[in-house]
Amino acid sequence: MADNQGINRRNFLKIIGISGAAVSMAGFPFRNLSAQTPFGKHSQEQPTYVIKRKVPQVCARACEADCAYNVVVGVDPVTGLERALTLEGRPEDPVSNGKFCIKGMAFVDSMYDPDRLMVSLKRTKPKKGTDNDPGWVTIKTEDAANEIIATLKKLKAEEILMCSPGDPYTNKLARSIGVTRSDQRTECFGTHYYINCLTITNPPNKYYSSTYTPSHHVAGYDFDNARYQVWFGFDSFSKCGKAGMLNHWAQGKKNKGKIVMFNPLRTPLADAFATEYHSIKPGTDLAVALAMINVIVSSGKYNAEFLKKYSDAPALINTKTRMPLTAKDGNVMAWCSIHKTAEPIDACHAPVMDGGPYKVKVDGKEVEAKTVLNLLKEGVRPYTTQWASRITEVPPSVIARIAREFAAAAPSAFIPTYKRDSAGPNYANSWRLRHAISILNTLTGAMDHEGGIILLHGVRVPWLEDLSKPVKPYPELPKEPVDFRNQFPVTDDIYRNKDFSAPGHYGMVGWGLYKTTKTKAVFFRNPHRGLHAMIQPQMAEAALEKMELVVDWNLYLDDLGYWCDYVLAAPHQFEEGKFDLRLYYPKWPCYVGGTPVQKSPGDQIGWGGLAAKIGMALAPEYWTTDGSTDPKKRVPLNMSDVAVKEAGVAENAAEFMKKGGLWIDRRKYDNYKTIREIGYGKPNGRVRMYIDEFAKAGYDSLPVWAPRWHDTKGDYTFSLLITRAPWIMHADPNFVNNPVLRKMTERNFMDCVWINPDAAKQIGVKEGDMVVLENNPEYMKDLPRPVKAKVHITKRITRKDCVLTFHGIGHRARNLKTAANWGYRDGDLIPQKDPAIAKKHDPTGMGWVEDVYVRIRKA
Amino acid sequence: MKEYAILLNNTNCTACNTCAYRCVQEFRYHNQAGKGLFRTFVATNDDGLYHKRCMHCVDPQCVKNCPVNALTKSEYGPVLYSADTCIGCQTCVKVCPFNVPQFDEASKKIVKCSMCAQRVGKGTQPACVEACPTGALEFGEYKAIMSRAQEMAKKGKLTLYGDKEAGGTHLFVLMKGDPAAAGYPKAAKKEKPVKKAAEGTFDVPVMAALALGGLKKLTERKERIAAEKEKDKEN
Repeated sequence: MADNQGINRRNFLKIIGISGAAVSMAGFPFRNLSAQTPFGKHSQEQPTYVIKRKVPQVCARACEADCAYNVVVGVDPVTGLERALTLEGRPEDPVSNGKFCIKGMAFVDSMYDPDRLMVSLKRTKPKKGTDNDPGWVTIKTEDAANEIIATLKKLKAEEILMCSPGDPYTNKLARSIGVTRSDQRTECFGTHYYINCLTITNPPNKYYSSTYTPSHHVAGYDFDNARYQVWFGFDSFSKCGKAGMLNHWAQGKKNKGKIVMFNPLRTPLADAFATEYHSIKPGTDLAVALAMINVIVSSGKYNAEFLKKYSDAPALINTKTRMPLTAKDGNVMAWCSIHKTAEPIDACHAPVMDGGPYKVKVDGKEVEAKTVLNLLKEGVRPYTTQWASRITEVPPSVIARIAREFAAAAPSAFIPTYKRDSAGPNYANSWRLRHAISILNTLTGAMDHEGGIILLHGVRVPWLEDLSKPVKPYPELPKEPVDFRNQFPVTDDIYRNKDFSAPGHYGMVGWGLYKTTKTKAVFFRNPHRGLHAMIQPQMAEAALEKMELVVDWNLYLDDLGYWCDYVLAAPHQFEEGKFDLRLYYPKWPCYVGGTPVQKSPGDQIGWGGLAAKIGMALAPEYWTTDGSTDPKKRVPLNMSDVAVKEAGVAENAAEFMKKGGLWIDRRKYDNYKTIREIGYGKPNGRVRMYIDEFAKAGYDSLPVWAPRWHDTKGDYTFSLLITRAPWIMHADPNFVNNPVLRKMTERNFMDCVWINPDAAKQIGVKEGDMVVLENNPEYMKDLPRPVKAKVHITKRITRKDCVLTFHGIGHRARNLKTAANWGYRDGDLIPQKDPAIAKKHDPTGMGWVEDVYVRIRKA
Repeated sequence: MKEYAILLNNTNCTACNTCAYRCVQEFRYHNQAGKGLFRTFVATNDDGLYHKRCMHCVDPQCVKNCPVNALTKSEYGPVLYSADTCIGCQTCVKVCPFNVPQFDEASKKIVKCSMCAQRVGKGTQPACVEACPTGALEFGEYKAIMSRAQEMAKKGKLTLYGDKEAGGTHLFVLMKGDPAAAGYPKAAKKEKPVKKAAEGTFDVPVMAALALGGLKKLTERKERIAAEKEKDKEN
């Protein structure tokens, strides 16, 4: 058979048979006739890592939602070491609904950021600044704290400034040593917080809690069930990434809710969730809101029943003094249509909201009074839709239709505000816009109603003072603080007397530090986004150079650190336990907790422990249960233990975490119940539209139109809009020092300034050109620092009179290898607040960030 | 094993890139992503959002043209990639109608989505789908996802991308307007190759090849026997 070169019949049939069987078993369609392996054999079908454990955590400091999730710890295939790898959602969390965002995941990786500060540092060379060598030497955190305490002991309370959000430890520390506390939430939450305080609830209230929350407010939004929403610049790029909100907006869309968006920037949020989008002239949103109020009140489309029962609409205001008429118990009076006399509002069975003026006898004298609703009607009469259209460039018919649709959809309709970005904050009308929004939400009865504004209820986390009452009143706070709070009596009263955690006047701190010699020491509890993340850092830098002591407690040595004498290494947020309320979506009473994922790798001291150490050294009488100096008698710090025990959820926080760290009471939302508990007036709380504190301080008690402080002049015609990439949080190195996020930012041109194609043509720039943005020196009188940036030309900027800057980049600290010298810093263009100008326009002193027009020229 | 696909409803996407970062963490490729080599990435363009990611073609050119079979089309949807087999020739980069595979100069390997084959096999969704905060990404059986995508496109007057492009894919993209304006490559539309070979049956070419081969062998055998008989006679 030597001539037989082929296979024989038997072998051939064997091959056919085996091949056929293999084919049958593999089931491969043979579309491409390529090699195939059974499932599970391919390298890409192998698990990418081995999970060891899942640790419950709560997001903090990345946004206002504070999502609950699990941190997944496993074996990293790259190194073979056990580490936190990623996140996993917790579907039972009413805020996150099982989702988490890119920033939450970046927190996982930032635990292992090679540039993270592992040791505390002490300066040995005097010249401060990112361009100078600080001569850092490492120091034990404990030793550094002792040295800092020794210096602080030599200073007077009014010479010390505490820069920190109002967490319970900071509050107690600042109160006990009697120093000013100021923080950076001014422009983020300030206006929102204070107007909420002044219209919905006067803190402290029944649910006022000590958890780290963005604004300590009590109102959230029922995005899921709203039938109609109007957003004024609420759809910033930063919100495009907030999973704790996105999941609710997606649910709202599924439920056929409508959203109308006004913004000169068209974001992907508008693409995805706006049923209609309107380009609006920057900083004019108030005009639309006032015209909407006009349409609603003039056509009687308000919720009269709600207004009578749950608001101050029938309250009588003395037309001469502009103050409400009050009964002996302090409650406001209303005009009774039956008895034809003024009566305490709750006792009045037939309060009028219209008509008048009414003649009322007060202390034997006759005064003229009008109802709040009537004053509102009269006040907004000039604000027609045509008037608003001329200012905003939004058609009058559109404004009228939106107002009618909004009112018709109520009470499942609202206008959200929380943090406003584009088109929002400016001196003149930011607070008025926020006030107008509160009024719109009240007129329609959306306050404290499912589908509308939902209020925190049924839970509370105690403050340190609740656990152990100070043996004597805290010392007086400085009368003339460096942040000029005292010049803003409305908000100063809240801060000093009602809620010490209230947002501070950070926008004026730089001004105060630079222009005065009041302060000698500044202690930053920098949650990775301090003074340099915000406005005109050049002024703060110059001011810090002359301080005797500057300290930062931080996860990173960032720009601020280069102006510090000590930088104390802080733990990562995942290395700390957490306890939180579901404030962003407070539909149900809920507690959520977090367990440390790992121990801090150095000798970091957590903020609670550090604050207690400094407090015990500087003001022990407030840090011990008996007012002594005995460290054994230190006040308890276990707020979460008390909260869960009081709620009957667990014996203590440890047990709560063993049970999963999440408790929720999915009871039915009781409409208009909570406003009775926490609103203005006793025993029946109400929402206020008329803010008499403003009248008392010489401002408008009801919103009126006011033009911007800063105006266009010459070439300074570009209104500055500010936003953030969805994965960046201010100048937080947790994100900007992450190479993956940097690349994402660049790929999306978010390291550029964005202008409209027509504007680009006008100033003669092309895509990718370098441009210089400059302030008008009339408005930036001190230390101007023009910004040089690459330009991105885009139709997403829908008007040619504005320029969009991305906040949070532009670090100089050279030790941050990814963040250093990348991009521009928007804050350089925003002047620190001159208190004289601020108080002329704004009783809260909170808004200003976008009150800037710049000139753009080719670099 | 069932055949799977992903539905991307771009009208619910906000370009948060949570999908992209979750993918980076799932596959631990931070270094590559830091250089811009993402397996999935969302770009915010003027006229829409563009998700650059493998479409997992029904008839993948990368698989057909890969000289070493480093790329394979799985029966359950994803186009899989074997880095160990890959020789870094970049043929796939050149032939992909969607410009998806990216070449990492450092490793001389390709960066491309695998549809989280390792998770799918365990019955879980791809990491990007699970993480998407708005539910813009959905995962499911190929036919169900395809019908859902077609129905949603019809109902919402949306453009469906990936259904016909390059002969069909396992990623269906729904969007308003023109996908090309949003950044999607203009891939030629083709009819899907007829899928008859699933569940262990033979495909036509294979059957034909085997049949022809068999017939040839049988003919040869007959001829050989006849020749041997003739030889025997001669002997």
